[in-house]
Amino acid sequence: MPPLRGREGMTQRILEVKNVTKWFPITAGLLGRTSGYVKALDGVDLDVNKGETFGLVGESGSGKTTLGRCILRLYQPTSGEIAYRGQDITKLKGETFEKIRRKFGIVFQDPYASLDPRQTVKSALIEPMKYHKLVRNNEEAMSKAKELIKRVGLNEDHLYRFPHEFSGGQRQRIAVARALTTDPDIIILDEPTSFLDVSVQAQILNLLSDLQEELDLTYLFISHNLSVIEHMSNRVGVMYLGKIVEAAPKEIVYRKPEHPYTHALISALPIPDPALSRQRVVLAGDIPSPANIPHGCRFRTRCPYAKDACTESEPALETRQPGHLVSCHFDLKMPAPIPSLGTASR
Amino acid sequence: MSEAPLLQINHVKLDFHTYAGEVKALDGVTFNIKRGEALGLVGESGCGKSVTALSITGLLPENASVTSGEILFAGKNLLTIRNDEMRKIRAGQIAMVFQDPTTFLNPVLTIGEQLEEVFLLNPARLASAALENGQSKNKTKSSLSKSEQRKIAKLLSIDVLKQVRLGDQDRVLTQYPHELSGGMRQRCMIAMALARNPDLFIADEITTALDVTIQAQILELLRDLKREFHGSTLLITHDLGIVAELCDRVGVMYAGNIVELADVRELFANPLHPYTKGLMRAIPMLGRELDRLETIQGTVPDLINPPSGCRFHPRCPFVLEKCKSVKPELLDVGKGHTVACHLYGEEKA
Repeated sequence: MPPLRGREGMTQRILEVKNVTKWFPITAGLLGRTSGYVKALDGVDLDVNKGETFGLVGESGSGKTTLGRCILRLYQPTSGEIAYRGQDITKLKGETFEKIRRKFGIVFQDPYASLDPRQTVKSALIEPMKYHKLVRNNEEAMSKAKELIKRVGLNEDHLYRFPHEFSGGQRQRIAVARALTTDPDIIILDEPTSFLDVSVQAQILNLLSDLQEELDLTYLFISHNLSVIEHMSNRVGVMYLGKIVEAAPKEIVYRKPEHPYTHALISALPIPDPALSRQRVVLAGDIPSPANIPHGCRFRTRCPYAKDACTESEPALETRQPGHLVSCHFDLKMPAPIPSLGTASR
Repeated sequence: MSEAPLLQINHVKLDFHTYAGEVKALDGVTFNIKRGEALGLVGESGCGKSVTALSITGLLPENASVTSGEILFAGKNLLTIRNDEMRKIRAGQIAMVFQDPTTFLNPVLTIGEQLEEVFLLNPARLASAALENGQSKNKTKSSLSKSEQRKIAKLLSIDVLKQVRLGDQDRVLTQYPHELSGGMRQRCMIAMALARNPDLFIADEITTALDVTIQAQILELLRDLKREFHGSTLLITHDLGIVAELCDRVGVMYAGNIVELADVRELFANPLHPYTKGLMRAIPMLGRELDRLETIQGTVPDLINPPSGCRFHPRCPFVLEKCKSVKPELLDVGKGHTVACHLYGEEKA
C-alpha cells in the first residue's frame, strides 16, 4: 500500500506540531496555590501530510485527546508551536484565527454529549456556516445542509429532527456532517467509534474512508483501539505519558516496532484467531501519573529492557530510517510482536 | 458426554417492564456449561449477555421477570429456589466479577475487611485451614476464637492475593479501594471470587474498563488461573479476540437469542450464522488488509417490538420468506456446532 492515499509522490505538510506542551496546574489550599502540574503533553512533535490519515494511539492518560484539543486551540498549549500550512497558529487571535480554524473539523467520542439536545440537526449544521459567513443566505445554507446530510448517509427528513430521535451510529453521522460544514482540510477524529457497537463501527469507518477520498480530507485519527488505527491509518504515532515515543508508517509500527512500549502494546492485543499461539509481552505495573513523570526515560519504570542509562537521561525522538522515529537509547532487537502478522491470510 | 453439565439453561424468556413497554430481553436462551470448561458469550450491547449472567446469579433488577424456562445448576432450578438459598449459592458455588470494579467494591471498607469476610462466613473452611496450619490444637469447628478466626482468614486472604499475582499483600489488605489502580482493583475482585472456590466463575466484561496493557495483565492472569482453577467459567465479552484466547466454546448472541454455539476453533474457522459471519468481517483485524470493512446493514432492533420470526431477518442478506414468520431453533450441524438459522434447516432433514 502506498504511504499516501490517492496522490503519490508530492507530500505536502499540512500540520506540524513542534515541541508542544500542555501543563495543567494542580492547585491546593484556600489560596489556590499551584502545587504541581499535570503534564498532559510534555513536548510533542509530529507532522501530518495532506491527504493522509495519521493515527495516534496510546493508553488513557497518554495525552492523545489533549493534543487533539490543543491543535484546535480548545486548550491553549503551554508552549510550543502548531503550524497549519507553515503558519504558527498558537498565537493568532480574532478574525485571522477564525479564518484558519474553520479549516479544522472535529468529531468527538460521545455522540450523546457532543450534540445539543435542544438543537435540530438543521440548526446544528447551519449555525457554523453562518458563523463563518460561508453562505450568503438561508437558501444556500439549506441546500448545503441537505447535501451534507445525504453525504453522510442520512436523508433530508432527518434535518428536522432532534438528536434524541437518532441511534448512536446516526448521531455520529450527524457529528461528521457538522464537522464538514466549514469545508475543512483536516478533521480530528477523537475516538469516533469507541461508543459504537462493532457492526455500526464498521459503517462509520467506511463512511470516513469514503469522505476522505471524495473530499480530499486529512485525518488525525485518535484512538486506543489498535485494530481500528491499523485499518484506518497511513502513519501511526504512539504516545506514552505526554510524548510520542515512536512514529512510522503503519506497516513498521505493527510489524517491526523498535520502541519497547510499542512492542508491548501491540503484543497485548487479543487477536480473534484461536489457532494463533504467541508469547505476549506483559508490562509490569500501571502507567505512572502524568503529575509525576519518571525522570530519565519516561517509560523506564515499566520497560523490560531498562538499563542505567535510561535513568540518567531522556532519549530524544530520533529518525532511525527515513520516516521512522524512535525515542529509545538502545537499538533493541525484538521479535515481531505478533508472529503471524503479514503471513496470515484470511 | 456422560457427565451431566454443571449448568443447564433451558428456553429462558425474560422481560423487562418499562414505561415504554415490555422489553423482551431474552427470547428462549438455551445452552449449557460442562464441568471445567470455559464458555464465552459474545454479542453487541443489548443482546442479552449480561442479563443472562444476572439471571443465573439471581441478581436481576426488580423490573425484570422470567416468563418461562429453567436454569438448572447442580440439579436445582435457580429460578425457583428461595432467596436465602440463592444467597448461599452466591456465597459459595457461583461467583461473579463485573466490568467496573469501582462500583462493586465497598469504598469505606479495606480490601482486607472485604476479602476476609468471604472466609469468616465459611467456618468449615476456616477450621480445615486451621488444621493445616496447625494453628488450632482443638479439632472441633466451633472452638476457634474470634481472633483465631481473623488470623486464619487473613492468612487465607494473603494466599488468594498471591494467586491473583498481587504483590505486597499485607499492604493491599490494609488499603481502601480508592488507593488501588483499576487493574489492582479488578485483581481484588477476582481474588474475592476465587476465595469462595466456586464451581462456576462468571466474568462479565472484566477487562473492558481497563487499558490495553493492563487488560493484557488480566488476560494472562485468567489464562494461568484456567490451569489452576478447576471450576467452569462463563466469560461475557464483546471482544472476539478475548474469546479466541480464553474460551473452549463460544455462544454468539443476538437480540436475546443464542444464534450460534460451537467450539472456539470451529466457530472461527467455520462461522455459519449470517450474523456471526457479518460480525467477524465487520471488525478491523490486524494483518488483514482490507480497503473497506463489510458492514451489517441497519441497527440492533428495539426489543419492545422485536422483529417477527428470526430477529435478525431485517438485517440478514440471505433472508428467506420463512425467516419473517418462523423463529429458527438451534440445530446441531455436527461436531457440536449448533446454529439457529433456516438456511441450515433443510439439508439436515
